[in-house]
Amino acid sequence: MTTALLFAGGTAPLQPPGVYEGAANVIAALMLLLEFGMLRQALVRDQIRLYAAQSALLSVLAIVIAADRNLPDLYALAALSAALKVVAVPLVLRRLLGSPADEDAPGIAGSYTLNPASAVLASIGLAAFGFFSFGQLHIAGPAAPALALAIAAAMVFVAFGLMIVRRDVASQAVGFFSLENAISLAALVVAAGLPLILETAFLFDLLVAVVVFGMLIRAHHARAASLSTADLTRLKG
Amino acid sequence: MSAALPIPVIQLLQVLTVALGAPGVTGVIAKVEARLQGRRGPRVLQPYYDLAKLARKESLAPEQASWFFLAAPLIAVAAYLTIPLLIPVLTTYGLPLGYMGDILGGGFLLSLASFVVATAAVETGSPYAQLGSSRAKTFSAITEPVVLFVVFTVALLTGTDLPYALAATVRSGAGQVIRPAHLLASAALFMVILHETGRIPVETHTGTNEFGMIEEARSFEHSGPYFALLKWGGELKQLILFTILADVFVAPWGLASTRQAGAVLLAIVALLAKACAIGVVVAVIDNSFAKLRLFKITEYASAAFLLAVLGVFTLYLGGG
Repeated sequence: MTTALLFAGGTAPLQPPGVYEGAANVIAALMLLLEFGMLRQALVRDQIRLYAAQSALLSVLAIVIAADRNLPDLYALAALSAALKVVAVPLVLRRLLGSPADEDAPGIAGSYTLNPASAVLASIGLAAFGFFSFGQLHIAGPAAPALALAIAAAMVFVAFGLMIVRRDVASQAVGFFSLENAISLAALVVAAGLPLILETAFLFDLLVAVVVFGMLIRAHHARAASLSTADLTRLKG
Repeated sequence: MSAALPIPVIQLLQVLTVALGAPGVTGVIAKVEARLQGRRGPRVLQPYYDLAKLARKESLAPEQASWFFLAAPLIAVAAYLTIPLLIPVLTTYGLPLGYMGDILGGGFLLSLASFVVATAAVETGSPYAQLGSSRAKTFSAITEPVVLFVVFTVALLTGTDLPYALAATVRSGAGQVIRPAHLLASAALFMVILHETGRIPVETHTGTNEFGMIEEARSFEHSGPYFALLKWGGELKQLILFTILADVFVAPWGLASTRQAGAVLLAIVALLAKACAIGVVVAVIDNSFAKLRLFKITEYASAAFLLAVLGVFTLYLGGG
C-alpha cells in the first residue's frame, strides 16, 4: 500500500516550507518559547540566563540568514549583537542585582499577579493576537519567511504581557530587553539588507536602555530594599 | 533472500511484539534508573518474573465489589492489545486492520482502559484506590487539550489523522522534520507521555508513598492474576506510548517496508531499541528534575499546551 493511497480522501497536505525556512522558523519559535520561559521563571538569574539564550538564538538566526542569502554584513551584526546581548547586558544585569550567592539579594519569586499557568494561558491569547494580526499583513521580506515575522509580533506582545503580569523591576527590565530582541528579529526578517550602521545604532539604543534601567533598579532597590513595584503605589511626602 | 510473511502474521507480530516486549522495556528502564541512582538494580527480566509470580497467586476481591471489579483488568488489557493494530509498530505500509481507527480511535482505547481501571478502583471502596482514580481522571482531563492539539497538528500536516500518514510524511524529507509545527507537536506529545507514564511532574511511579501515587494507587485492591494483568497493562501502555512517539513522530525509520521476514525481524529489534532509548531519556529526565507539588501540575500542563497550540498556530500561517 502506498502513501498516495493513504492521503486519498483527505484534503491535500500542506507543503513543507523547505529546510532553510524551516530552520529559521524553528529558531524564531524557540525564541518565542524562551519568552514564555521568562514569563514563568521564578528566579532572576534564570530569567537573565533565558534572555542570554534568546539573544544567542537571534545571533544564530542572523548567521543562518547570512549564510543562506549571502549577506556578509549580517555576520558582523551577529558578532556584535552576541557580544552585547549574550555577554555584556546579562553581566551588567547580574552585577546590578547582586550575586546569586548573596543571601540578601532581593528575589522576584512572589511577583506574579496571575499564577504561572493562567499567565501562560493569557499570554497564549496575546501571542495569538500578534500572530494572526501580522499574518494578515502578508509582509514577505527578501531574507526570512513570513512566519518568523508573525512570531516576532507574538514575542512583542508576550514581552508586554511579561512586563504587565510581573510586579518587579528586574522582570520588567528583562521584559523590555527581550522586547528589543523581538524587534531585532522582526528587523532581520523584514529588512535583512539594512545597512550595518543602522543596525549598530539600534544596538546602541539598547545600551542607553540598559543604563537607564540600571539606574532605576539601583534607585528603587536603595529606597525600598526590594525589587517589587508594589512599593511604588504609596505616595511619599 | 528470506520468505515473505503473510499479512495476518505480520499483523499478529505487531501485537505480540508489544505484548511480550513491554515488560522487557520496563525492566531496562528500571535497570538504567537504578544505575542513575547508584544502585545495582533488578535484573532486566525481573518484570517477567513478577508477572509470572503474580499469575500463580490467589486472587481476592472486596466483598461488596461486583463482577466489574474482576472484569476491568481483562477489558483494559484487551484495549491495550488492540491499539498495536492501529499504529505503525513494524511496518511502513498500513495493515488491513490498521484502518479500523485513526489516532483518535487509539486515544479512545487508551481512555477506555484507564476508565475501566478507575471504575474498578472506585468499586473497592478503598480510599487510596479512589484517591488515585480521582486524581488520574482529573489530570487526564487537564492533559487532554494538549493531545487534541497534537492531533490537530497531525491533521493539518497530513490532511488525515492516520498515524501511518504522519509517519510517511516525516520520512519524506528533512523539510518535514525541521519545521516548527512538527517539532512543537512532538515536544508536546513527549511532555504528555512523561506525565502519562507516571514520571514528571508529580508522580513517583515506583514509590509506595501515598502522596505521590496516582496510577499505582488504583490497583491497590487487586491481587493475583488480576493484579498481574493490571501491571502488564501499565507496561503495555508505556510501550504503546513510546511506540507512538518513536514510530509516528520522532523516528519513524527502521520500519519494514516489505513483507520479508528479515525486514520484519529487524523492525522488531529496531522498535525495542527505540523504546529503550526513549526510556533511558525519560529515566534521565525523571531523575534530574525535582517533582512538583501536586497542585502545580497545571503549570506543567500549560507548558505542554503552549507547545501544542503554537504548533497549530504556525501551521495556520502556512510556514509551519
